[in-house]
Amino acid sequence: MSARMVLDVSEYPSLVQGPRGGLWWGMAGLVLVEVVLFTTLIATYYYLKFLNPHWPPAGEPLPKLLLPTVNTAILVGSSFAIYYADTSISERGDKRGMTVGLVLSLLLGLTFLVLKGVEYAQVEYFWDSHAYGSIVWTMIVFHSSHVLSVVLKTVVVLALAAKGHWTRERCQGIKVNGLYWHFVVVIWIPLYLTIYWTPRIHG
Amino acid sequence: MATLDPALAPDTPAGDLHLLERTWSAPRGLGGWFMHVNHRRIGRRYIATGLALFLLAGLEALAIRTQLAVPENDFLGPEAYRQVFTMHGATMMFLFAVPIMEGIGIYLVPLMIGARDMALPRLNAFGYWMYLIGAVTLYAAFFLGVAPNSGWFNYPPLSRREHELTIGIDVWWVVVSMLEVAALVGAVGLIVTIFKMRAPGMSLNRMPIFVWSILVMAFMIVFAMPTLMTTSIFLGLDRMVGAHYFDPAGMGDPLLWQHIFWYFGHPEVYIMFVPGLGMVSMVVATMSRRPVYGYTAVVLSLIATGILSFGLWVHHMYATGLPRLGTSLFTAASMLVTLPTSVQFFCWTATFWGGRPRFTTALHFVLGFLVIFLIGGITGVQLGSVPFDLQVHDTFFVVAHFHYVLLGGVVFPLFAGIYYWWPKVTGRLLSERLGKLNFWLMFLGVHLAFWPQHHLGFMGMPRRVYTYLAEMGWGTLNLLSTVGAFTVAAGVGVFLVNAAVSLRRGAPAGDDPWAAESLEWSTSSPPPPYNFRLVPTVRSRTPLWDPDRAEQPVVVGLRDDQREALSTTLLDARPDHRVVLPGPTIIPFVAALAAATPFVGVLFGLHWVPIGAALTFLAFTAWNWPHHLGTRLEPEGGPEHRLAAAERAREEAEKARGEEVRR
Repeated sequence: MSARMVLDVSEYPSLVQGPRGGLWWGMAGLVLVEVVLFTTLIATYYYLKFLNPHWPPAGEPLPKLLLPTVNTAILVGSSFAIYYADTSISERGDKRGMTVGLVLSLLLGLTFLVLKGVEYAQVEYFWDSHAYGSIVWTMIVFHSSHVLSVVLKTVVVLALAAKGHWTRERCQGIKVNGLYWHFVVVIWIPLYLTIYWTPRIHG
Repeated sequence: MATLDPALAPDTPAGDLHLLERTWSAPRGLGGWFMHVNHRRIGRRYIATGLALFLLAGLEALAIRTQLAVPENDFLGPEAYRQVFTMHGATMMFLFAVPIMEGIGIYLVPLMIGARDMALPRLNAFGYWMYLIGAVTLYAAFFLGVAPNSGWFNYPPLSRREHELTIGIDVWWVVVSMLEVAALVGAVGLIVTIFKMRAPGMSLNRMPIFVWSILVMAFMIVFAMPTLMTTSIFLGLDRMVGAHYFDPAGMGDPLLWQHIFWYFGHPEVYIMFVPGLGMVSMVVATMSRRPVYGYTAVVLSLIATGILSFGLWVHHMYATGLPRLGTSLFTAASMLVTLPTSVQFFCWTATFWGGRPRFTTALHFVLGFLVIFLIGGITGVQLGSVPFDLQVHDTFFVVAHFHYVLLGGVVFPLFAGIYYWWPKVTGRLLSERLGKLNFWLMFLGVHLAFWPQHHLGFMGMPRRVYTYLAEMGWGTLNLLSTVGAFTVAAGVGVFLVNAAVSLRRGAPAGDDPWAAESLEWSTSSPPPPYNFRLVPTVRSRTPLWDPDRAEQPVVVGLRDDQREALSTTLLDARPDHRVVLPGPTIIPFVAALAAATPFVGVLFGLHWVPIGAALTFLAFTAWNWPHHLGTRLEPEGGPEHRLAAAERAREEAEKARGEEVRR
């Protein structure tokens, strides 16, 4: 039997973080899929807008700006909180900082949802009023359900934190949850500009 | 890293092998049937389900052709015809072609890249269950007599509620959305596997061309399919809660559907076709006994095809009155997309030229593909130009064109692939005699069935009609076409006989019956549960043809008592870390049932949407709860933690040293 060169991998680690691990890429794939979904919504908005002479339709007021803008700032803030949670555990092994970041991001996400609810409770058109209503309501409900799902996801992450699951070495779940959270925040920016600024800039 | 280890002879103690076998083997029994996560099991299920649906779609095609064989036939009434022709299209496009290509990818890719399993095995299983639930839902509606009936493309306004009250349209958009979820999940799993699980040394530019084609297909799925899901949901909102997306009276537009649908629909054609191209390249290389000529050109052509296919959708809409300048641009793009395919045609020709081809059944199907697809490509160029298209729009000429393209570009490469990889999957050879009979029946049948339809199109016979008058003079050509369809069916019948005979008493294939070049042929046929006893390393594009193959290093140190695999870096495939993969679990099946609840439930009432969403959340929480990872959870500071911490310390030390040097 001839001797053979071997590559011994028994000392290679199995706990890795970020893009080194397959889980991160799986989540990146989901994010890519969702980017295409949201892009289709935005493209549909502009298709319908340029089809119709009046946008929003005659009789509907321009969307109000103050509340959604404040709300956007709150959502962007939640992204910083989740980033703080991530770096606390993955770079410093600081479990308290991680918990604080997670709780803060949860509170900010929930505030966003409540304020969205308040905002759209005052709107006087619905999805069955006209195509403008259809696309705006679809965008809002679709995005809000994403915020709700990432909030629920983070509740699970927090439950695992309470059980002491996350360590400096084992924090890929925090990273991947953070990736999705950042996506839900970042994708809101083009939606916000589309829904609230487009009718003002180009009526 | 690589060390000389004289102790490792090919006859390593058998005890390890038993343990490895037990670790990777599939669970037994009925309960176990729902728990498989291994890529070969899932891949086989995709392929078997896809072939079963291919047979159903074939029966539907025969019903359509029987109805059209003679003028004023009453074999199928108008409503039955609408349902059958919609089911034929939807089955071929959504239930057969895409899933079977993904299934073959799921089966073959890990074997070709030297991996023990996919990167995300449970996600893979989840995708299959979503696909199966979608298929069962659609065919349940069919057998209850409420199948969708407005064509596989389901255009509004015909499919809006004021024109079509039947629940069939709702079944269509619900099932299509579920199938998109399945296809997307499969695509993401394939991308991650190809990115992270390649054998050490298999850098991107050494991947087999079939793996490239699957990668391109997966990215096309990711960019195309979500749009169809979105527009399907628009249609559902229009029908169920009174939205106005496709309603001109409410500021909407039916053409919006066509734009989004064909933005998905045209890439869809290439999603089915690109893996076929990959299979052809593999078969051509092996059967010519030399590497494919122009590897780089072939791979770049696959990528170019994938990108260009997203800029063609308006050529399905020339007759809708869009601005001239726009349609001209899409004509140019439609001409452009022929170039990458032509490049591949020339590369294959050059491969034959320098090789010594063996005319096996697989190569017969490849040559049949070249002829049939070439004809379909030529009529495609004709249809790409606006003036020609306007003459034959919505006639049988178009039907002839896309059947040449799809049978030539999808079904023939698929059969080439089946004949080529069957021995690897089953361990037995197929009969070459029956194989050639199969080929000739299908090859002649396709021409007989679809060539006359070009003429019918010129004579003005419209698509989608359920019958015609004798005075039109279309009878003879239609009868010929029907005879051709039954000839194709006879060819498929011969294949079934061949398959059954081979499974029962086919000759044993051995590891590598074709003397092929890629890694899947280096393991036994069928492969063991762990794919490779020793994970290989790679240093060329055709590893099995390397003269020093026996001396190349192998990977050791993966544990036998849990499902461990090696993950490598994305570009260069340097060894990076060990992955512990999950074993058999019921969770993907349960999660698929939960995730299907809002889709199927919405047919019965809107309240099922929040219920289903809540169930899905619970299922996925259980999925991600650490106890289900198939391993014990290590306490902080355990051996795996120590390895990771040691690696971090090493990296930090190196970084500090680097900074010192710079200073």
